[in-house]
Amino acid sequence: MLNYRVIALIRRELREKLLSKAFILMTVLLPVLMFGIFGVQTFIMSFESEKSIIEIVATSEIIAENLESVIGESSFVKDSTIIPIISSMSKMEFDNYIKSKERDLLSEKITGIIFIPESALIDKRVKYYSKTPKNLRLLERIDNPINQVLIERYFQSKNIPTEELKYARLSVDISSFKVSEGEEIKEEGYGNLILAYLFSFLLYLSLIMMGSMVMQTVIQEKSNRIVEVLLSSVTSKELMIGKILGAAITGLLQMAIWLSPVILVASTSWFMLPENLAIDITFLQVAYLLVNFFLGLLIFVGLFATVGSIFEDPQDAQSGMWPVMLLIMIPFFISISMIENPSNPVAAIASMSPFAAVIVMPAKMAMIDVPLWQVLVSTLVNILTVMAIFPIAGKIYRVGIMMTGKKPSWIEVIKWLKYKY
Amino acid sequence: MVGLEVKNLSKSFGNLKAVDNASFSVPEGSIFGLLGRNGAGKTTTIRMMMNIYMPDSGEITFGGIKAGPDFNSKVGYLPEERGLYKKMKVLETLLFFAEIKGKKGRNVTRLAKEYLKKFDLADRMNSKIETLSKGNQQKVQFISTLLHDPEVLILDELFSGLDPINTNLMKNVILELKERGKIILFSTHVMSFAEKMCDHIAIIDSGKIKLNGSLTDIKAERSQRNISLNYKGDISFLRNNSMIENISDYGNSVGIKVKEEKHIQELLKLLVDNNVEVNKFDANDISLEDIFIDTVGQEVAQEVKDA
Repeated sequence: MLNYRVIALIRRELREKLLSKAFILMTVLLPVLMFGIFGVQTFIMSFESEKSIIEIVATSEIIAENLESVIGESSFVKDSTIIPIISSMSKMEFDNYIKSKERDLLSEKITGIIFIPESALIDKRVKYYSKTPKNLRLLERIDNPINQVLIERYFQSKNIPTEELKYARLSVDISSFKVSEGEEIKEEGYGNLILAYLFSFLLYLSLIMMGSMVMQTVIQEKSNRIVEVLLSSVTSKELMIGKILGAAITGLLQMAIWLSPVILVASTSWFMLPENLAIDITFLQVAYLLVNFFLGLLIFVGLFATVGSIFEDPQDAQSGMWPVMLLIMIPFFISISMIENPSNPVAAIASMSPFAAVIVMPAKMAMIDVPLWQVLVSTLVNILTVMAIFPIAGKIYRVGIMMTGKKPSWIEVIKWLKYKY
Repeated sequence: MVGLEVKNLSKSFGNLKAVDNASFSVPEGSIFGLLGRNGAGKTTTIRMMMNIYMPDSGEITFGGIKAGPDFNSKVGYLPEERGLYKKMKVLETLLFFAEIKGKKGRNVTRLAKEYLKKFDLADRMNSKIETLSKGNQQKVQFISTLLHDPEVLILDELFSGLDPINTNLMKNVILELKERGKIILFSTHVMSFAEKMCDHIAIIDSGKIKLNGSLTDIKAERSQRNISLNYKGDISFLRNNSMIENISDYGNSVGIKVKEEKHIQELLKLLVDNNVEVNKFDANDISLEDIFIDTVGQEVAQEVKDA
């Protein structure tokens, strides 16, 4: 199968694809774009965490004192992202005080002033004065210690032991554990969920991109009449194999470039990820992902090449490729839906069905522990799909590339299968 | 010595019989012309020879061996509808086409550069194909059929769209290859080229081979009692003359067949006596164009009669 003719064809495809502007742009730009979005977010977040001066005014002196000690313990005070200034004064004094501080608030010398009135001990209502009062991140941080102090103060008069107070103060903390065979039960973060999203998206993008690239070259060869020259040297089967392998290698390379940051993060300790974002992926899984992706490329690039061979005009081909697009898009949406409930039955079936297995199984694997037999069945289904579609696709391709003139109907295409060419 | 042989080749597309039991052979070191009108079945025959179309029946042999993929790599093929990768560079294109024929390396590169020089394209070596003129693209395509040093050249409508200088250039290259013992088969509907270049011809019409053999033999056989005449004046008086077997008017020349050898001199005298200005009077000669129209035309007449 891999004779010198096929190798020459693959080399030409690679030279053309790898050096094409579209490929370079997509390969380099996509990670830059993705990391760029993350980067911009962190950058923006780093601004607000620079230094916020928050004044906390309580009418009760005891509350002010308690706050001083509780807030002093908080991490955000220790790393001085928030500098609290705590004082106590009466409501009337505060009304004057806030007026005198108006300029500081407007110039953002002080980020905000929190006022805890006496009534807070009954209804837990506090007031926040700021130029930007909807600073959720900041308030989220500060409301915990205030709550703590208020609870303590409230129950102090009720003679309840501090142990029990501690319990009352706790909020429910759900830790997720991933149960997998043979391994110890591990705490599970969001890392793999993000990975599943990311990989589904990249798979979807890459299959469509490689597929339509090949479709374009097939159409180009057909409409430029190069195909006849080629067929005088190579068989249509060799031509098709060369094209598909050329695209598959290109796609694999692109995916490897895209995934290398993820693999680097997962396999080395060079980058510190927060614990709940830890990625749990083994080398074997990466290998599986690439094999699966390769099979997927064979299937879908093959289908796109076949569609390309039917048409002479790129616009006709655009409308003719929807059946193939659906075969990619439906599994993609199943993968995405699985993120809400990884064990949904549609996904379970799809992960072992022809065409869908390529896209659904990797996403499923990232989220739940899939039994080995299912992975093997899915891979087998993919291999069988390749073997089943290629004789048909090859036949249509053989007839299609030499057909010029009128745009054929689907019925005519089916008739081609009976042609002796 | 027999080189390339086509035996009982047939191909139908639906109800249309594009090629019907076609057979002919091309000896080594000769130039063969496959002649026919547009749509006669030339391209289909050639595509079957190149294994681009699968024949319904029949086979192609080269040197007595049935043609397979190995045969294809020994052939240089120029299809009627030319095509090159527009974005590829000239030299790159040539090397690619040689590579899929199994030839690569320094020698091929050197040869490619030699050919480019010969065809006055040396300075365009690294230009993209799309920047070349149509004629230059044709030349690149022609070189790509030669570069792997083929045993057989199959050229479909070689001279279409070429200027006289380039036509001459290619003609010389072809004659040179013939000298080196290669087989050259080309299809054309331009008879004057075929007449000058071909050793052997086959005339194909409606998918059937009507005439096949060495051009000299065919001419000798057909030219007896035949006069090729160019004239000014009126020759209608010949129509009912008892010594004339038939007259074919080809526009700029007239083919006249007389019943007996001795009538040739009588005909000339008759023309002079009737004040016809004779520009050319070729006895025992027939042009390929005459043969072609005679062969194909008869069939058309026959078809009309049958219908």
